Amino acid sequence: MRQPEHMESNASLLQVNNLSIRLNSAAGLVHAVEDVSFTLKAGQTLGIVGESGSGKSVMARSLMNLLPRRAVAQRKGSVLLSGREISTLSERELQRLRGPDIAMIFQDPMTALNPVLTICVQVSEPLQQHLGMSKQAARARAIELLDAVGIPDAVNRIDQYPHQLSGGMRQRVVIAIALTCNPSLLIADEPTTALDVTVQRQILDLLTGLQKERRMGMLLITHDLGVVASRADFIAVMYAGRLVEVAPANTLFKSMQHPYTEALFNSIPRINDASHTRLQAIPGRPPQLHNPAPGCAFAPRCPYAQQRCHRETPPVVQAEQAGHLHACFYPVSAPVALGGVR
Amino acid sequence: MPAKKHPKIESRAQNFARALQQVFGRGFGPGFWLAVVWLLIVAFCALFADWLPVRDPLDPVIANRLNGPFTSNLLGADGLGRDIFARLIHGARVSVVIGLTAVSIGMLIGGALGIIAGYFRGHFERALMAVLDVILAFPWLVLLLALVAFIGQSLFAISVAIGFLWIPAYARVARANTLSVVQREYVLAAKAMGASTSRILIKEVLPNVILPVLAYGLVAMGLVIIVESALAFLGLSVEAPQPTWGGMISEGKRHLATAVHVAVIPSVTMFLTVLSLNFVGDRLRSRFDVKESNL
Amino acid sequence: MTNTSEQATPLQLRNRDDIVLRLEHLVVNFQVGKQTVQAVSDVSLDVALGETLGLVGESGCGKSTVGRAIMQLPPPSAGRVLFKGQDLSNMSGEALRQTRTGLQMIFQDPISSLNPRRKVRDIVAEGLQIWRRPNQDARVREVMEAVGLDPDTVADRRPHQFSGGQCQRICIARSLALDPDVLICDEPVSALDVSVQAQILNLLEDMKQRYQLTMVFVAHNLAVVKNVSDRVAVMYLGKLCEIGNAEAIYARPAHPYTRALLASIPDMDPDARGQQDKIPLLQGDLPSPANPPSGCRFRTRCPNAQARCAEVEPVMQAVADSMTPDHFVACHFPL
Ligand SMILES: Nc1ncnc2c1ncn2[C@@H]1O[C@H](COP(=O)(O)OP(=O)(O)O)[C@@H](O)[C@H]1O
Ligand SMILES: Nc1ncnc2c1ncn2[C@@H]1O[C@H](COP(=O)(O)OP(=O)(O)O)[C@@H](O)[C@H]1O
Ligand code: SF4
Ligand code: SF4
Ligand SMILES: [Mg+2]
Ligand SMILES: [Mg+2]
Repeated sequence: MRQPEHMESNASLLQVNNLSIRLNSAAGLVHAVEDVSFTLKAGQTLGIVGESGSGKSVMARSLMNLLPRRAVAQRKGSVLLSGREISTLSERELQRLRGPDIAMIFQDPMTALNPVLTICVQVSEPLQQHLGMSKQAARARAIELLDAVGIPDAVNRIDQYPHQLSGGMRQRVVIAIALTCNPSLLIADEPTTALDVTVQRQILDLLTGLQKERRMGMLLITHDLGVVASRADFIAVMYAGRLVEVAPANTLFKSMQHPYTEALFNSIPRINDASHTRLQAIPGRPPQLHNPAPGCAFAPRCPYAQQRCHRETPPVVQAEQAGHLHACFYPVSAPVALGGVR
Repeated sequence: MPAKKHPKIESRAQNFARALQQVFGRGFGPGFWLAVVWLLIVAFCALFADWLPVRDPLDPVIANRLNGPFTSNLLGADGLGRDIFARLIHGARVSVVIGLTAVSIGMLIGGALGIIAGYFRGHFERALMAVLDVILAFPWLVLLLALVAFIGQSLFAISVAIGFLWIPAYARVARANTLSVVQREYVLAAKAMGASTSRILIKEVLPNVILPVLAYGLVAMGLVIIVESALAFLGLSVEAPQPTWGGMISEGKRHLATAVHVAVIPSVTMFLTVLSLNFVGDRLRSRFDVKESNL
Repeated sequence: MTNTSEQATPLQLRNRDDIVLRLEHLVVNFQVGKQTVQAVSDVSLDVALGETLGLVGESGCGKSTVGRAIMQLPPPSAGRVLFKGQDLSNMSGEALRQTRTGLQMIFQDPISSLNPRRKVRDIVAEGLQIWRRPNQDARVREVMEAVGLDPDTVADRRPHQFSGGQCQRICIARSLALDPDVLICDEPVSALDVSVQAQILNLLEDMKQRYQLTMVFVAHNLAVVKNVSDRVAVMYLGKLCEIGNAEAIYARPAHPYTRALLASIPDMDPDARGQQDKIPLLQGDLPSPANPPSGCRFRTRCPNAQARCAEVEPVMQAVADSMTPDHFVACHFPL
């Protein structure tokens, strides 16, 4: 790892301050990310949960400056990687960062791989480019990496093309590519959404295993609370471009503060509930992100909303426990019973 | 539940305006509208050529032979002293008639064949595709010459001949679009509802295939106009003295050394028209494709 | 599949009067190039009046194909589909068209299952128009209101003006217009947001009560399936592994594959970290349905596989000590 052992525990690996991103779209300016701040330490996993369209991918891509240049209308705030501001870096400097410092895994393993190149070429390219390895050495290392991500018979598979692999195997290759340069920060944007439950479990186990082993910081982005519940150290809940609640994983589930977190949690069918248990649906639907109305974005669907919520935007405040933040005027305080909830 | 209440009943005009905006609304840019205006002018000339206050396109005034533009004649006169402006306007009629007829024939026959092939698949599709491939592989000019020799040189005959040549292309476009529509689940839902095959073809498939095919038709019309001029060069287009743009260019080439404008003016007119057709057709097609994908 | 089992009535088919839908030895093969994809192989199951049967399994195991084969879209390669005692697979075009209106289907992608060029009113009225039913307008209003759409505001709009959840409501309204007996739902909530998913699941439950529907509910999310189902059928690579009462299967799975599926569900309790690790994780991927393993199709990934599993295909047997009767499993060594 690039950081000395003793620094890891206290220095933050990734610090995002007041990040706001607006995008151009046919319907007008999209407020995709609004005033997002969080900190991630080395060796930790931050789970970011939100429904589709809540701005998770835009946020993740903006950390690496991967958004299409023409789409970005406005960008505010700072992104510090190991204390260094990276949002102002030039494209060339950023390219040097991508790979050795930050790596990213995308939702769709098919589009993340080049269909006309063999696995070998795709895995060993960053090794040759960033680490200056020879072709043979890179190939040998690529086989090691494919082994490490659980691809059986890596020696033979390495010369196959992406279409010859199953979805789960492709995602493993994508992970292997992300790991080539030993990144200190791994951003996984819905890495298992396109996969089956059984394969999802394998890939998540693999990711958390690798993350522990290599002491990487990981941003695990998903729309499924269940995916992050038992794997993330911290969980951030995103709604309409804002982080509405951030807390250590076990604190969050024991004492949800934000009504949206609570509603989301309650609307998910539980495997331990009896059949035909009525679900507590959230009325309405997620808001459009262009021309946001003033006030709390959740107000039209919130059971606790008061007049104030429709006028003012609730600021992010500290809840009782340390490290538990939420953005709500009237937080839910009653602790949620967790008895046998799966 | 609708998150936002909409006005109860929208007037027809509002609905129409919204539909227009969806199809033509944003992002076409001034180029598109310029092209549309040009095409409207051409269509207007073709329609009303006989009543427009222009000179007789067939009247040779020897004194004006090869006069340049803005002299005795607005756009000059040709080798026989006929007014080029008047001939352009009357020639537009030939281009438009050939374009429309040929494209309609191709669209109707080719489109129907393509939809049927794409919907029913199987032997019919394979046989049709094989035949179309053979037609496409045939040198088109030779085919056209044979057709014209066979059915004659009247405006209608030439239109039919050119239209026939376009059948394979339309069949392909219609088949490709049908194949993608048939996979959509609304077709399955209609079947589950008990819809007959003809109902599915007319209500579910046709409306989704016709727009891309129409847009393609505009591009094709541009090519048809060029094909007509190629025929004119070979002296096989509509018989003289009926003015056609292709014929005018063909005649003008004799005077290239002395009076460039005789060939250049109809060339530019034709160029602008074909360009406009391509431009409009292409924009519309991409608009429909985008609509397909985000629907 | 031996010849005798082909003839015999499968064990898992119940002998009851109120069976609405019954599949016997259903086989669906697809010819892809030179290969034969065995999408569904010898699946037999039944659904009783007012029951919801959940159909689960990994993607590609043939769930949708079963759903479509019930509708005869396309008809199965072999086997029978009995709807209220009538054999759909033997019916001629016109009779099938008529009978099939008693079965309706909703699909995963609500947007691609609505014709973009038609108005919502026409989409919902489609079945009524085809069969020239009387009082079409009133019926359209009724089903639109039932699914929570305001007929006055939505009837004249086109599908692309609606969100995924709204489109799914339109699809449900359309399927209800002809007053079907059976509703086949193919992953109806998989494409929806989590917060909207609960709305649609509740709606389906309401519609089931209101219109006395019998449902087949296809999904890959086991929690969703449990929520809506009375009985659950687990499929693997075109075969039925286990079928039985939902509570019984989830509490005590008898098939190693069912257990593995249940163990893969992400845990919602952060304190339960690592607890599931006692159950061996499913390794590897789904084999190709064009070339399925011999014997038990699950044997290449089964932690309990023995030599016998490769040689003899397991047949359905009753689960000995299940909480409920009518619980069957196809495994040589049930759990
Ligand atoms: N390239 C882009 N141009 C314009 N708008 C975009 C672009 N990418 C995403 N958006 C919009 O930004 C919002 C957030 O999208 P996204 O981050 O992809 O959501 P999520 O990943 O949480 O599902 C959405 O409203 C989406 O339409
Ligand atoms: N029309 C088709 N042609 C060829 N193969 C098909 C077709 N439909 C489905 N299949 C194949 O049949 C198998 C089962 O598919 P499907 O029923 O869609 O699975 P599921 O719905 O469980 O995901 C898959 O391997 C799939 O590739
Ligand atoms: S601020 Fe008001 S509307 Fe927003 S979540 Fe809190 S209570 Fe609900
Ligand atoms: S029959 Fe054998 S391989 Fe198949 S599930 Fe049972 S134990 Fe496993
Ligand atoms: Mg995303
Ligand atoms: Mg399916």
